[in-house]
Amino acid sequence: MTVGFQRLLVSSILGLCVGIASAQDAPPASNWWAPASGKPLAALASYPDAFGSVGVMNAAGPVNSVGHPFFEPIGQNGRACVTCHQPANGMSLSVETIRRRWEESDGKDALFAPVDGMDCPHLPSGDPHSHSMLLERGLFRIFLPWPPKAVDGSTIEPEFTLEVVRDPTGCNTHPEYGLKSAHPLVSVYRRPRPVANLRYITHQGFGVFAFIGKNGLPASRDPDSGQPSAMNLLSDARQPTLATQALEAAVTHLQFDGKLDDQRLGRIVDFERQIYVAQSQHATAGDLMEANGPSGLGVRNLASGRDGLLGNNITNFVIPLDGQWKQLPPGEDAQGAARNRMRESIARGHDVFMFRTFWIRDAMHLNTVGLGNPAKRTCATCHGMHMLGMDVANGWMDIGTTNLPWAREEPLNPWSARKPLLPLFKITCKTGVPPHPFLGSVIYTQDPGRALISGKCNDVGTIVMQQLRGLSARAPYFANGAASSLRELVDFYDRRFNIDFTDKEREDLVNFLSAL
Amino acid sequence: MRWTSALLALAFPWAVAAAPSAGDRLSFVSCPIVRDTVTVPCWLAEYEGEVYFLTLQTDVSAPVNPPWLGHQVLVEGVVSDEPGICGGRVIKPVALSVLPALDASCNTMLPAEDRYNLGFEPPRPPGPSRGRLAFGDPTSRSASAPGGTAADGATLKFSLSYEFDGMVAFRHAQILQRILESSRANNATGLRITAYRSASRLSNGTVMREREHIDRERAEQIRELLRGAGLENVKYEVSWKDLSKRPDGVQDVANRRVDVVVVGAN
Repeated sequence: MTVGFQRLLVSSILGLCVGIASAQDAPPASNWWAPASGKPLAALASYPDAFGSVGVMNAAGPVNSVGHPFFEPIGQNGRACVTCHQPANGMSLSVETIRRRWEESDGKDALFAPVDGMDCPHLPSGDPHSHSMLLERGLFRIFLPWPPKAVDGSTIEPEFTLEVVRDPTGCNTHPEYGLKSAHPLVSVYRRPRPVANLRYITHQGFGVFAFIGKNGLPASRDPDSGQPSAMNLLSDARQPTLATQALEAAVTHLQFDGKLDDQRLGRIVDFERQIYVAQSQHATAGDLMEANGPSGLGVRNLASGRDGLLGNNITNFVIPLDGQWKQLPPGEDAQGAARNRMRESIARGHDVFMFRTFWIRDAMHLNTVGLGNPAKRTCATCHGMHMLGMDVANGWMDIGTTNLPWAREEPLNPWSARKPLLPLFKITCKTGVPPHPFLGSVIYTQDPGRALISGKCNDVGTIVMQQLRGLSARAPYFANGAASSLRELVDFYDRRFNIDFTDKEREDLVNFLSAL
Repeated sequence: MRWTSALLALAFPWAVAAAPSAGDRLSFVSCPIVRDTVTVPCWLAEYEGEVYFLTLQTDVSAPVNPPWLGHQVLVEGVVSDEPGICGGRVIKPVALSVLPALDASCNTMLPAEDRYNLGFEPPRPPGPSRGRLAFGDPTSRSASAPGGTAADGATLKFSLSYEFDGMVAFRHAQILQRILESSRANNATGLRITAYRSASRLSNGTVMREREHIDRERAEQIRELLRGAGLENVKYEVSWKDLSKRPDGVQDVANRRVDVVVVGAN
């Protein structure tokens, strides 16, 4: 393939992607943090994002990245943890940054390592089509053993059979990497989760017990302390602690050969437990960290907040605004007027989030946990963790982001040349296993989610929800990147649960989310 | 689940009586109905031309959880003389079992009507709480609270109740936690687990039996869950008993259970 033709392909893929992306503000200037760059990470840094700027705060003070295992390429492929957890992207990685990095490096950056930065490692290198998951939706390949393995290495007998219906990457049917290979693997494609605010996510407070509040089964435990895990770190909850996650990521993402030593592991975990991310400046609403501002906004407030609290109440609130910004004066000038109008919109969006009821129906591990089906509730019912807005208890549920009929699928018709991007699996619950309570015994899914770890039929398509902080810095959203903007994210819920948002409610909710 | 003949009505005259009176037991299978109100939705069910109120939407702490559209529900309870709620006669106490099979015909959602709005404040609004769960935090109950009674100085007894044909679900997490904590706190040497299979005699005389071997499955599941949570250094005595032979419409709900005795507690 000629260089010119490759560039044409890149342009066509990127052009298509830009067409899909939102009409939000222009992408920020490059703030790519290369492994072993030697730069210090300031105690408080801010980076431009789609709605202003995101704040990154190191509660323990400035971080010297020289020799730091989070910032050094400790594996074989040249990546460091920071490669996929960029400060400028709220310690995650936006698809805009990925595309820019492709152009800047001509596709040669370690970010695009074949192991998981390619749709499948057997594909030709240097071809953007080999990296369509990353370039179109910011998705990395997650490869898991099938059938699943228990912590002790024993095989879990799954309650269902797994059939590949569609395999656009070729990975699930590949003789070396697929389900029928010598070491059977299933490949799914997921977004990198933010490495920030983890004190909240790994809390031992409300809802964390030895038994999972959603199904009564034993929670996974910290192998060192024996304490139960909140199980909210990864989208399938497969790793209980920051340490076990780092050990796995070093091998699977960095291609580290062996096991990280305790010293480097400790430094990674210590770093991860003290870093916080939240929107610090809103392009229209102004400074989100000003003195006496709402106590739920800004990274400094986040760093000093209480973890392990349920916020779905009127005593803590999920994101406390303290009643501020409800009714503001007109503003001293045009800019002040726009700021105050946006602040009022954010406050209204907060109230939509907390108090706008709608019918939540057929959501596994939500409607099945005592609320009934349907349940008349609000966004904060599920997004209830104080200050973070993810589930305060073990948080996987199926709202339809990966399971059909709700998951985003490419419209197939004679007038479109676009092909489905993601794989599709057919799940058939085995005889004797109760059917999935809402989807029956046969389920089609782009990503079985937690079921790839538990082997349970009623876990198919259940995904651990995401935190809501720093959203403006890390589009696209959902584990499979199905929502390219905050507007598309809100629209998904509107469609899925027939909420019937008004234009104003939708706009206010987007503005609220953009300020987190 | 095994359905047997409904011809037993002759042997059980109460089963074919007209409208039941307050205090009458009532057991039936029906589609649940959800009715909106200006606060939380009500859950209703219709049986032989009469509408019954089952429960309200509250939260995870509720002793009775609402059923699911898309499934039939087994209702077992006592007709109450309380004023009707949401247009339905109250069944209280009531046990609700969501039946596993999907039933798309169970899909009735009724809009709010002024005449059916609640005449009282519900335990929990449909959105954020006022700072506490509707019925308190079940995990803070001591081992001597219901479900963890100290029989003598050396044993603690717990009981887990189940829906019809049900296995461990979300509602069991808290009592399993109490068993675990009690066992550890008291240096238990063993656990005696006894599980039961039940049947339900419906008001129309039909008998529904739980699936075969569910008694054994329940017992073994509880053992494996406690082991899985780290309670490994105790001796498990596991047994099971089939109580499905003679359902009487009275003890049927109580017979769907697993008893756990913590042995050797100090």
